[in-house]
Amino acid sequence: MSITRREFLKRGTLAAGAITLLSNTKLKGMKKYPTGWKGRERVQEIPSICEMCFWRCGILGNVDKHGKLLKIDGNPIHPLTHGRLCARGNAGHKLAYDPDRLKYPLMRVGKRGEGKFKRVSWEEALDFMTDKLKKIKSEYGAESIGFFPHGIQARFFEHVMKGFGTPNIVEPAFAQCRGSRDVGYKLTFGNSVGSPEPLDFENTDLMVFIGTHIGENVFTGQNLQFAEAISRGAKLIVVDPRFSVAAGKADYWLPIKPGTDTALLLAWMHVLIYENTYDKKYIEQNAIGFNELKKHVKDLTPEWASKITGLPADLIVETAREMGKYFPKVGVHPGRHVAWYGNDSQRGRAMAILTALLGSYGRPGGIYLSSKIPAPKYPSGKNPKPGPRADGAGSIYPFGSRGLGITNGLVDATYSEDPYPIKAWIVYSQNVLQSIPDPWKTKEAINKLDLLVVVDVLPMEQFLYADLVLPEATYLERYDDLYTVKNAKIPFAAIRQPVIDPLYESKPGWWIAKETAKRLGLEEHFQWDTIEEYLDYRLSGLGVTLKEIQASGIVEYDKGTPYYDFSKPVKFKTASGKIELYSKTLKDYGFDPIPVYEPTDDVPKGYFRLTYGRSPVHSFARSQNNEILHGYMPENELWINKQVAKKLNLLDGEYIQVENQDGIISSEIRLKVTPGIHPEAVYMVHGFDQKSPFLELAYKHGASDTYLMSRVVVDPLSGGTGMRVNFVRIVKNGEPIMIDGAVSVVSQFKKTKKGDAPKRHIIVPEVHEEAEASDEGC
Amino acid sequence: MSRYAMVIDLRKCVGCDACTVACRTEWDVPIGHSRTWVEQNVMVGEFPNVNATNWVAQCNHCDEPSCIPPCPTGATFQKKDGSVVVDTELCIGCGFCVEACPYDARYVNPLTNKVDKCDFCEARLGEGLLPACVTTCTGNAKFFGDLEDRNSVVYKKVYREGAWRNENENASIGPNVYYLGTPEQLEIVKEKFGPRQSRMATPAEMWKDVIKPLVFTAVAATFAGQAVAFFEQLRKGEEPIDE
Repeated sequence: MSITRREFLKRGTLAAGAITLLSNTKLKGMKKYPTGWKGRERVQEIPSICEMCFWRCGILGNVDKHGKLLKIDGNPIHPLTHGRLCARGNAGHKLAYDPDRLKYPLMRVGKRGEGKFKRVSWEEALDFMTDKLKKIKSEYGAESIGFFPHGIQARFFEHVMKGFGTPNIVEPAFAQCRGSRDVGYKLTFGNSVGSPEPLDFENTDLMVFIGTHIGENVFTGQNLQFAEAISRGAKLIVVDPRFSVAAGKADYWLPIKPGTDTALLLAWMHVLIYENTYDKKYIEQNAIGFNELKKHVKDLTPEWASKITGLPADLIVETAREMGKYFPKVGVHPGRHVAWYGNDSQRGRAMAILTALLGSYGRPGGIYLSSKIPAPKYPSGKNPKPGPRADGAGSIYPFGSRGLGITNGLVDATYSEDPYPIKAWIVYSQNVLQSIPDPWKTKEAINKLDLLVVVDVLPMEQFLYADLVLPEATYLERYDDLYTVKNAKIPFAAIRQPVIDPLYESKPGWWIAKETAKRLGLEEHFQWDTIEEYLDYRLSGLGVTLKEIQASGIVEYDKGTPYYDFSKPVKFKTASGKIELYSKTLKDYGFDPIPVYEPTDDVPKGYFRLTYGRSPVHSFARSQNNEILHGYMPENELWINKQVAKKLNLLDGEYIQVENQDGIISSEIRLKVTPGIHPEAVYMVHGFDQKSPFLELAYKHGASDTYLMSRVVVDPLSGGTGMRVNFVRIVKNGEPIMIDGAVSVVSQFKKTKKGDAPKRHIIVPEVHEEAEASDEGC
Repeated sequence: MSRYAMVIDLRKCVGCDACTVACRTEWDVPIGHSRTWVEQNVMVGEFPNVNATNWVAQCNHCDEPSCIPPCPTGATFQKKDGSVVVDTELCIGCGFCVEACPYDARYVNPLTNKVDKCDFCEARLGEGLLPACVTTCTGNAKFFGDLEDRNSVVYKKVYREGAWRNENENASIGPNVYYLGTPEQLEIVKEKFGPRQSRMATPAEMWKDVIKPLVFTAVAATFAGQAVAFFEQLRKGEEPIDE
C-alpha cells in the first residue's frame, strides 16, 4: 500500500466532512435559504370589496408588476372585519383565474339545455337582446319581463329594468332566505333587521341563536364579534336540531324537534311574563298589546312546549330564567336563512316579541339601530309607473317585499301564465336552479320563455338553457355601485374597484347596463359618462371624492350613538308608533295577531326531515368550482344520527342516495354518522351536485338539497318558501332501507304542493315607500 | 434572545379554515397538502350529550425537534429565535423528517420534491408582518409573539393564562404552539390529536448512536492505518511519489 502525503491530507478532509454532515449543526446559518415568497413580488395593494359571498368584506388585492393578482388579504381598516378574511375571501383569486369562466358573449345554437353556443361580439349580443326586449315589450308589455338580480353588480342593470318599466324584479334573498324574519321584525318594531344583523355582541351578556350557525354560516365581521363575546364570557343558548359549531360553544344546547321553535318561543315568553322577569318598564313605556300577549301565553307553559319540542321542561325554564337574568343585554339573533316551514313570518314575530320582552331592541347589548348613509342617487330619468306585479308581493302575500320580490311567485306566474304571461327572464349572478326550490318547475317555466338572458361569471346550470350569455367581469376586475353599510356602529361606505384588468372579453356590469340602456332608448337614465364620475357623485354626500378614498377603499360616517334615547318617548315606525306585541295590522289581514304554534307535517315513519345549511368554505351554490375551495370540500355529506345509523346498519363514510316523499332520488352522497343531529332529521350542506358539465370541478359532486325540494309550504304573510318540509329515506344499492312498519309515502304529500295555492288576483299595490332592492344578499 | 411561539384559543376558533386557505395562498401549498390544517366540530358523546372542539394544528417549532436529527443533509435546523426551518437548497426530499415529526406537520411538496412546513411565515416576519394565518383568523383566535418578551401577547397567554402544550407519553419535545380551551375541549384534543410516536426514531437513533461512532471509529482507524503506513514508508526510507 502506497500513499502520498497529499493523498493522506485529502482523505483526512473527506473524513472530517463526513463528520460534519453527521453532526447536523455546522451548516446553520451558512447559507441564505430561498423562500420564494411571492409577497416580495407585490408592487401594489389595491383595496376593494369581496364578492365571494354577499357580505362584501374589505380586501387588499396584492398585484405584481405584470398586473397579476398574487393573493388577497383583508383590508385592515375595514370597520367590521379589521383585516380578516374567511376561507372563501382568501381563495377569491381562483375565481378570476378559473379556467371555466365565461369568456365571450355566447348565443345558443342547440336546444335549450344542450349547452351549444356560438361566440358572438358584444355588439351582436346586445343588439339581439335589446331587439328582443323591445319586441316583447310591445307585444306583452314591460311587465312580461322578469329580472333575477343578485349583488350590487346587478344594480345598474336593475336601473335599466326599472326604466324599461317592469315591476317583476325578484331576488332569492327574500323568499328563500331572510324575508320572513324581516317581515316579523318590521311588524313588531317597524323596522326590518337588515344586514349585517345589528347585534351588539360587544356588550351582550347572553346570545340566543335559533338555527343560527355562526362559524359555518360565516360573515367574518360577525364571526369576530361572536368569538370576542365568547372570550369575554358572554353566555350562549343555541336552539338547533343539529350540534352546530356554535352549539359546541354554547352553555345550553337545545336539540329541538325540527319545526317546533315557535312553541319554545311562546313557552319562554310564558316564563318571562309569569315569573315577572321581563323588562316591565320597557314594555310599559314602548309596547302595546301586553295584556293580550299575557293572556295568549297563559296556557303555553314549558310543560306544554316540552311535549311538542321534545325538550325537558326544566331546561326551557332554566334558559328562560337566564334571559330574565341578563336582560336587556341579551342578543337574540334574528336568524339569516329562515325559510323553513311556511309559518316563518310568525316565528320571526315570536322572536321579535321575545326581544321586546327582554327590552333589548335599541339598547346596548341587544340590537342596535342603523342609520341612513347620505350617498345621493345620481340624477336619472323618471321611471314609468310599473304595471301590476306577477309575483304576488304586496297582494297575495301582503307583506312580501316589493323591493326584493318573490322569486317563486314569479316562477309560478311564468309557469302558469297567471296573472299574465312572462316572456323573458334576465338572470343576473343568480343560480336559479340551485337557489329556488322545485327546479323542475323552474325548468318548465324557462321553457315558456321567448328569451332567457344569463349574465354571469361562470357557466352555472341555467347557462345551459340561456338564449344569450353575457360574460361579466369578476368582482376583482370592475367598479360597482357604492356599497353602503348602515348596520354598523359607525356606518360606512366602501368602494369596489378593479384589482386586475378584465380577463377575456368580460365586461363590468355598469358597462353592460349602460350599453343596454343606450339601445333601449334609456340614455337619460345613465347621464354619467364614466363610472368614476358616477361614484364621485354618490360619494359627494360623504364629503369625499373617489380619488381620495381609492387608497383606503372605505369612508366612515359617524352618526352618533346607535341606541334609542328612552328618556324621551320613542316613536317606532309601526302603525301605532309602539312596539306591537299584538298586531292589529295582522288581524285586519286575517292573520293571527299574536303568533300561535302551527305544527308542521310530521315525519312519516321510515323517513327523515331533510335539513340543510352552510359551510364556511362555500357560498350557496356559487363557489363549488373554485379550485382551492373545491379542494377543501369537493362534495357534501349527509349527517345522520349515530344511534339511528346503528339500527339501520349504516356506516360512516359509505355512499348512499336519498329518496324524497315524491320519489325523487338524489345523487350519491357520503354518510356522516354523528351524535350531533336529532334522530328525526338528516342534514346536508347546500349547493352541491351542480349539473352544468361546463363546471369541471363542481359537476356532479355530492347531492343537491334543492333537487330534493319538490315540495314547499309557502308562508302566507311573506310568500317565502318553507323548504324544510321535505322528507327523505335512505337508499342503498338501489333499495330503500326499510324500517318496520314504514311504507312509501310517494304521492301522499303532493296535495299540499299546489292544493293550497292561494288564488291569484291582481292588485296594483300602492307605493308606500320607494321600493328598492337592498344590496344585502342572503 | 427570542423564542417565537403561537397560542391558539380553541374557545374562539370556529374552525372556518380561513387560516389554512390564507397559508395556502401565501405559500402556494398544493391542494391535498397543508402547512396548517383545521378540523371543524370534532364531536364526542351520544345525542343529546355532545361535546366538541375545533382543532387547528401546524408545525410546533419544538424545543427539541425530533425532525432535526434524522435529516441527512442538515437542511432542517433550528434558528436562534427557536423556529425550525428547512433550507430547501439542502433538502433532498428523503422524507425522514416527515416520518419523524410526531405531529405530522411536514410534507414533501410534490411540485418541488422538497420538504415543506410552517416556518411561522419567516419572510412575512422579516417585513414586519404577522404570520398569514394570524392576520386573517376570523375569530381572532391565533396569537403570535416572543415568549422571552414579558410584554408580548403570547407571554401573557402562556404564563398568566396557562396555555397548554400538546404533549403526551409519545412525544414530549416542547412544542411551541400552545392551546387555550375549555377543559372539555382540551380533553377531546388529548384524546384525538395528541402526538404519535416518532416513526423514524430507530434510524434516527442509529444515525446518532450507532452510525456516528462507527464512522468515527472507521475514520479514526483509516487515519491511524494510513498514518502507520505513511510512517512505515518513511521508516523504510522509500521516497513518496509526489505527483
